[in-house]
Amino acid sequence: KGITTAAVCVYPARVCDAVKALKAAGCSIPVAAVATGFPAGQTHLKTRLEEIRLAVEDGATEIDVVINRTLVLTGQWEALYDEIRQFRKACGEAHLKTILATGELGPLTNVYKASLIAMMAGSDFIKTSTGKETVNATFPVAIVMLRAIRDFFWKTGNKVGFKPAGGIRTAKDSLAWLSLIKEELGDEWLTPELFRIGASSLLSDIERQIYHHVTGRYAAYHDLPMS
Amino acid sequence: MAATGVGSRARDIFTALEYGPVPESHACALAWLDTHNRLLGHYVGGEWLKPEHRNAVSCRDPITGENLANCLQAQGEDVAAAVEAARTAFKAWSQLPGATRARYLTQLAKVILMHQRLLWTLESLVTGRAVREVRDGDVPLAQQLLQYHAVQAHAQEKALAGWEPRGVIGLILSPPFSFLDMMWRVCPALAMGCTVVALVPPASPTPLLLAQLAGELSPVPGILNVMCGPALLGPALASEPGVQKVAFCGAVEEGQALRRTLAGKGAELGLALGTESLLLLTDSADVDSAVEGIVDAAWSDRSPGGLRLLIQESVWDETVQRIQARMGRLRSGRGLDGAVDMGARGATAQDLAQHYVHEAQSQGGQVFQAGDVPSDSPFFSPTLVFGLPPAAPCAQAEVPWPVVMASPFRTAKEALALANGMPRGGSASVWSERLGQALELGYGLRVGTVWINAHGLRDPVVPTGGCKESGSSWHGGQDGLYEYLQPSGTPARLPFLCESLNYDTFGLVVPSTVPSGPETGPSPAPPYGLFIGGRFQPPGGRSSRPIQDSSGNLHYVAEGGVKDIRGAVEAAHQAAPGWGMQSPRARASLLWALAAALQRRDTALASRLERHGSEPKAAKAEVEVSVRRLQMWGTQLQDQGHTLQVAGLRGPVLRLREPLGVLAVVCPDEWPLLAFVSLLAPALAHGNAVVLVPSGTCPLLALEICQDVATLFPAGLVNVVTGDQDHLTRCLALHQDIQALWYFGSAQGSQFVEWASAGNLKPVWVNRGFPRAWDEEAEGAGSELSLHAARTKALWLPMGD
Repeated sequence: KGITTAAVCVYPARVCDAVKALKAAGCSIPVAAVATGFPAGQTHLKTRLEEIRLAVEDGATEIDVVINRTLVLTGQWEALYDEIRQFRKACGEAHLKTILATGELGPLTNVYKASLIAMMAGSDFIKTSTGKETVNATFPVAIVMLRAIRDFFWKTGNKVGFKPAGGIRTAKDSLAWLSLIKEELGDEWLTPELFRIGASSLLSDIERQIYHHVTGRYAAYHDLPMS
Repeated sequence: MAATGVGSRARDIFTALEYGPVPESHACALAWLDTHNRLLGHYVGGEWLKPEHRNAVSCRDPITGENLANCLQAQGEDVAAAVEAARTAFKAWSQLPGATRARYLTQLAKVILMHQRLLWTLESLVTGRAVREVRDGDVPLAQQLLQYHAVQAHAQEKALAGWEPRGVIGLILSPPFSFLDMMWRVCPALAMGCTVVALVPPASPTPLLLAQLAGELSPVPGILNVMCGPALLGPALASEPGVQKVAFCGAVEEGQALRRTLAGKGAELGLALGTESLLLLTDSADVDSAVEGIVDAAWSDRSPGGLRLLIQESVWDETVQRIQARMGRLRSGRGLDGAVDMGARGATAQDLAQHYVHEAQSQGGQVFQAGDVPSDSPFFSPTLVFGLPPAAPCAQAEVPWPVVMASPFRTAKEALALANGMPRGGSASVWSERLGQALELGYGLRVGTVWINAHGLRDPVVPTGGCKESGSSWHGGQDGLYEYLQPSGTPARLPFLCESLNYDTFGLVVPSTVPSGPETGPSPAPPYGLFIGGRFQPPGGRSSRPIQDSSGNLHYVAEGGVKDIRGAVEAAHQAAPGWGMQSPRARASLLWALAAALQRRDTALASRLERHGSEPKAAKAEVEVSVRRLQMWGTQLQDQGHTLQVAGLRGPVLRLREPLGVLAVVCPDEWPLLAFVSLLAPALAHGNAVVLVPSGTCPLLALEICQDVATLFPAGLVNVVTGDQDHLTRCLALHQDIQALWYFGSAQGSQFVEWASAGNLKPVWVNRGFPRAWDEEAEGAGSELSLHAARTKALWLPMGD
C-alpha cells in the first residue's frame, strides 16, 4: 500500500465527478465537499443545509462547513451551537469538518470558545480557515485550537481532529505542523483520521524534496508534473 | 528488493512519526581546539600564554566523557600578570574617544556573527546544553549586547558626563554561569572604558575563544584577559591591587565569603548570586501558557537554575496534571542534537539535583519525574517536587536545575508573603489574565525582574539585577553602565585594610562615660533623648554621653545601644510601606515643608554651628545649602523610572525605582548639619525609611531638626540614634533586617561594615575613611546618591489578545 492523501476536497458541484473519477481509478480515497456557502458562509441557513444534503447525496463522505462569523463576533454562542447541530444532522453519516475562519474571529479567546462549541456540537474535525481569508493558519491560532481539542478530550474522552489550511506550501512548513501536533496532542493524533493539512499547493514541493532525496539534485519545476 | 526495502522504511517512518536525530556537526569546534593542540592557556595581554608547571584540567564532553582539551589553571602570579596587562591597557583604552570604542564593539559583534557556528557548537559541546538555546538565544543576545553597548559608548561623553571609567574590573564566574554572563558584564565594562580580567571556571573554552576573538581585533592589547582557574583563586584576583571593581557570579555562600574576604581591600564588589527563579501561577492564568513558562524556566536549558513554583490552590490539580503531561513530552539527549529540549550538565549539576531530590523525599516531599530521558548516566530527568511541608529545609533552600518545587497558595496576598519570605530576590514571573492582579503582584514582589505572563525574557536594554541574597548589582541598560563608572575625580580605590581590626570586638563595648559637669550653654537645648518612632525617648541603657563644643559648653545626649537600634529599625519598618506608597509629589511636599522649617530655624542652627567652630559666614552658608538640598531632592523626585522599548517584544518594559526599605545612615563627624541633611533628603525622597546616626562630635543639630521632623513626617519614618559611633555602626551592620547601609566614618568602620554586610548581603556604601566635600554639588548632591538610594526593578508587560 502506497502513501496517499487523506481525502480529495472539492466544491459541491464537482462531488459527482470526483467520486466517479476516483472509482474509475480504483481508489478508495474519500471525497470531501466544502459546503454551506463556502468560503464566506453568507447565505441563508436553509440553502446552506440543503447544500450539505445534496453533497452527501452525491457521494461526499466528508463535509467542510463554514461557521457564521457574525454569531461569534456578537457572542451568540448558543445560536452558533444550534447551527452547527443542524449541520451535523444534515451530514448524516458523513464526517463534519467545521471551519472556524479564525482570521476573522478577533481575539484568541473567541477562537478557543468557537473551537469548543464546534466540538460540543459534534464536529469530527475543526479547521482553521477556508484558505481564502487574508489570515489563514497561524501557529498562535493553531496552538489555541489544539489546546481546546486536548481540553475537550480530557473532559469527554472524545478525540476531535485538527486541520490547518491556507498558506502551507512547503514540505518544511508541513514538518513544523507535524511537530506542533506531536508536541501538543501527542503521537495518537498523527493519523489521517485526526490530522489533515489543507494545502492545494503542498504536493509539488513534497515531490521536489523526494526528487532531491533520491537523486541528490534539486528539481526544476518542469522536471515534475503540474499539480 | 532494495526498492521495497526503502518503500517499507518510508511507511514505517510515516506510521511511527518519531523524531529523527538532528546532529549538529562540531567539527569546527574540534578544529579550533586543534589549533591549540588541545591545550588552552590563558588569553592575557592580547596573546596566548601557556606558562609551565601549571595544573591542567581536562575539559570533557559531558555525554561521552571524551577528553576534548586541557585547560591550564591559573595561579596567583598569572592573575597578577593579567591585572598588570589590564592596567596597562586601561591607560590607553580609557583615553580613546567613545566613538572609537563603539567602532570596536561593532566590529566584534560582526566577528561573532561571522563565527557564530564555532561559538555555539563549542559551547554546546563543552557544557552539554541544548544547542537550540545557545544558537537561537545566547549567541544572538551576545551580539545584541555588543551592539547596544557600542551605542552607549558612542553616547558616553554626552550622556554620562561627570562620570569616568572605574579602571580594571575583575570578573569571577562560577560554574553554572556561561559565556553569556561574561558578555553581560564585559560589554558595558569595555564600552565605558574599563578593562577586564575574567576568571572563568576550570574547563571553559568558550570565554577563551571570545577573548581571542576580542583580542585579535583590539587596538589596545589586554583589554579583555581571560583565564581558567579554580574557585579558590577568586579572592586572589579580587584582592589584587589595581582591581577597582569585582563582579562576581556564583553561589550565595561563595558571595558571602568573598564579601568578607574583600572587606577593606578597596575594590567595589558587585554580586550576582544564585540561579533560582520564581513562578507565580494564579487561578486566572492561562495554565497551558504558564506550563510553557515553567518549561522555559527550568527544563529548556535557558536558565542555569531551578524553579520555585507557587500555584493557587483552586487550580492546583489542573496545573499539576498539565505539567505532568508536558513533562512526558520533554526530550533529553546530546546537546548538539537540534531536536533536544534538555542536554546534560555534567556530574556536579547532576549530583546537586540528586542530592536535593533525596533530601526532599526524606523531608516528606513527593517527587515526579518524567520525560524521554536516555537511561545512561549523564542525564537527569525533569523533576517536579511537591507536597513539602512549608518549614522543611528543602522548601527554603535554593532549588537546583532541573527541579521545580511546587507549593500552593490561597490568595494573592498569601502568594506575595510566601514569595517575599524567601531570602533570595532574583527574578519572578506572574501569570494572570487579570491586569490589576498581575500589576499588584508585579509591583509587590521584592525581586529584580518580574515578567507578566512570560518567563526568562532578556534584552540588553533592560536592567537585570536583584536584591536580598541575590546580590545587588545590575547588568544591562543604564543601570548596568553605572556598575563600571564612578564620578569623575574619584581617587583610585586603594586598600584601606587594617589587619589588626578584630571583627569580634569592634564597637562591641561602649566606653563608659561619667558625668563631667553640669550642662552649660544657651538654652533652649534640643529635647533630650533618642528620636525613635516620632518622639524623643530615653535610651534603653539609661545613660548619656557628654558633648563639648568648641566654646567649651557642655551638653549631654542619650547613649544609644543595641536595643535602641532594634527599636528604631522596627519603627522604621512600620513606617516604610506607607511612605514607599506615597506619590512622589506627596513626598516632595513634605521635603519642602522640612526645608521651610529649617529656614525658620536658621538663626538657631547657624549659631549652633558657630559654637562648634564654624565661621559665621560659613555657618550661614551651611544652613542655606542644607535648605536647598531638601528642596532639590523634592524637585528631582518627579523623574523616577521610565518605560523601555525592547526589540521584538510587543508591549513595554517598565524600569521602576523602588525604595530599598529601611536604610541606615551613619553620618560623618564633619559638616554636622549639611552632611546629615544631604544624606537624609535623598533617602527620604526615594521612599526609604531611615535610621540615622548623626555626627558624633555634634549631634545636637540633627536633634534640633528632629523637632520639625516630629511634627511633619509620619512617626517612625526618620529615627535618629545618638551614641558611640562604632558601637551603633556595629549594631546596624549586623542587623539582618536593614536593607542598606551608608557609612561615612573611619577606615576601620568602613572595613567592619563591609565585612558584616555579608550576613544579609545588604548593599553598603562606605567612604573608606575619606572625607567627602558635602558642600560641593557633585559629592553632596550628585546622582551617585540617587543611585544608592533606590533599587531598580524591571517589569515586563508583554501584550496581546
